Amino acid sequence: MTSELDISGGTTRMESAFGSGDGDDEAKASVAQKAEVKGSIFEQTYRPWRGSLGPRWVRNYAIFRHHVYGLFSSKGHRYYHPIVRLTILIVFLFSLSPVAMLFLASLGGQGGFGEVLSRMWGINRYNLWGQVLGFFPRNLCMWPLLTALVVGGMISDDRRNGTSAIYFSRPVNRIDYTAMKYLSSAVVLGFVIVFSYMVYYTSAIVLNGEGWAFLIDTFPIFMGGLLAGILLVLTYTSIGLALSSISQSRFFAAVAFLAVIYGTKMVAFLIESTFESSILYLLSPYDGLAHIGQWLVGIESNYDYPIAFSIVSILLINSLSLALLTSRVSSLEVTRE
Amino acid sequence: MTAKAPAVMIESASKWYGEVIGLNDVSLAIDGGVTGVLGPNGAGKSTLFKLLLGRLKPSQGSVRLFGTDPWESTSPFRRVGYVSETEPLYEWMTGLDFLMTMARLHGMTRDEARERAEHVLEFVGLSDVRHKEVGKYSKGMRQRVKIAHALVHDPDLIILDEPLHGCDPLARTSIMSVIRELGNRGKTVIVSSHILEEIERITEQIVILHNGRLLALGNLHAIRGLLDKHPHRILLETESPRDLAKELITRKPIYGVRFPEEGFLEIQTGDLSAAHEILPSAIIESGIRVTAVENPDDNLDSLLGYLVGGG
Repeated sequence: MTSELDISGGTTRMESAFGSGDGDDEAKASVAQKAEVKGSIFEQTYRPWRGSLGPRWVRNYAIFRHHVYGLFSSKGHRYYHPIVRLTILIVFLFSLSPVAMLFLASLGGQGGFGEVLSRMWGINRYNLWGQVLGFFPRNLCMWPLLTALVVGGMISDDRRNGTSAIYFSRPVNRIDYTAMKYLSSAVVLGFVIVFSYMVYYTSAIVLNGEGWAFLIDTFPIFMGGLLAGILLVLTYTSIGLALSSISQSRFFAAVAFLAVIYGTKMVAFLIESTFESSILYLLSPYDGLAHIGQWLVGIESNYDYPIAFSIVSILLINSLSLALLTSRVSSLEVTRE
Repeated sequence: MTAKAPAVMIESASKWYGEVIGLNDVSLAIDGGVTGVLGPNGAGKSTLFKLLLGRLKPSQGSVRLFGTDPWESTSPFRRVGYVSETEPLYEWMTGLDFLMTMARLHGMTRDEARERAEHVLEFVGLSDVRHKEVGKYSKGMRQRVKIAHALVHDPDLIILDEPLHGCDPLARTSIMSVIRELGNRGKTVIVSSHILEEIERITEQIVILHNGRLLALGNLHAIRGLLDKHPHRILLETESPRDLAKELITRKPIYGVRFPEEGFLEIQTGDLSAAHEILPSAIIESGIRVTAVENPDDNLDSLLGYLVGGG
């Protein structure tokens, strides 16, 4: 294919043929030691591909892995800043802190310090609810921050850089694009929020040596908390992606998400303090989820309105977010329509 | 039906942006070889490409890629490779990783993607820098990696929007060679460029747009031959232009002469081929020394000027 003539200098094939050294940041100048008679002749040979292109799910998996694997390695995947990765790791480790407490409790034995730790972090309705839906520290410091970091740039980066064009000039439709972005975000959030919840429950059984009776007693409560956790992941993902889709800045999307979560709660709190009416908590996604979570795990509600209100509120918040998301994605790269 | 459908079929397609017309009742079919799309700014080239890529819906008429409407379905994009003028790349990835990522978006396995990515990088002359980050590539290399990513799934139709823009002469030569090779391979290649000479070096098959209308479609020389209002010109460089003019003016199909400058004779004819047939013998018979013969207006630049100028 290539006939080469006496290449003995330091020039690569690429540089001989196309002058690829031009514009290279790392290019170095060198002085030829002697005039050499050298050169290359290249033939451009295009070889058709004989394989068959994979089905829709394989293409969609490529989008999914691009986003999720990027958390572990940017090589060939989406780029996450090292600080973002570190923060996600810290949030994940912190979400597992009850497991460490249960481990210490198991070392402490019966009575004394071990029993105190076990009582504080052991499995009960309140702790299961708090692992996912407790306001401090999880929904104040951890889950919203995690969502803002993971979801903020998910679509806004494509909008700013125009990289959505890379998808839309390929056999990837907008539903697949949106669904895979959604799934990727939800899986990352789910891994931290839901997986840590499952680890917490499992470790409590293992470390305390609990039997079948305990399992049968607590499993329905665990399932209630699991459902609440999944609902939280879906709701935060919907809101975060919707905000990401209307922005060209991951910072705006992230800050807007935090503003929605904290702002609605703050307004509702102020109204409740001033007018003794808690109805505005319906506007707060966190409080809607907390209310539903309390109902699912069977603990006393902090809210003085019916659970149906919160269910409708969360459904509406999700529906509006998804409607905004799909509407924005459907206009991506579609110019002057 | 789809298997036999041409790569591109546009029937009476129009696109309005409110009051402004982007494309006006354009019908054309393109299948196989390299076709150059030409026209001044605002001619409708970008609108045409956006319609082909399903990024715009025609206000009227239809657009089909391999028999399928690209607005309704993304399935034709399995067979389409697109190189945009401005499309950004994943700057943090190496050339090889970027190509592999693109290949996997077409459903290739990891091994298939690597093999294919390495081949197309070699084809466009980037194999030696495949492990370098795309963000560190020069402009010419970026253009070539864009062509590579459009080729990674071995498409049948390749659409290149200004692929030579911003490239140095060496990179241009290389890209033009890639485009010609793809055309020779039987691929349908549609390429737009403002640099007419370079389009001429790639192909003689052209589409000319102006103000959203299709002005001409087909072989460059055939289109030129159809422009009866503009006689063909042949420029001769000679020591005795007036004597030579006297000899030639009486011969058919030459019907006019001009002396544009000292030492030059321009003859006018309605039939370029016939004129070239009689010219050698006429010059020999005249005994006058002629040092150069050229056709100054049988090129894309003149053609575009005649068509767009409306003269």
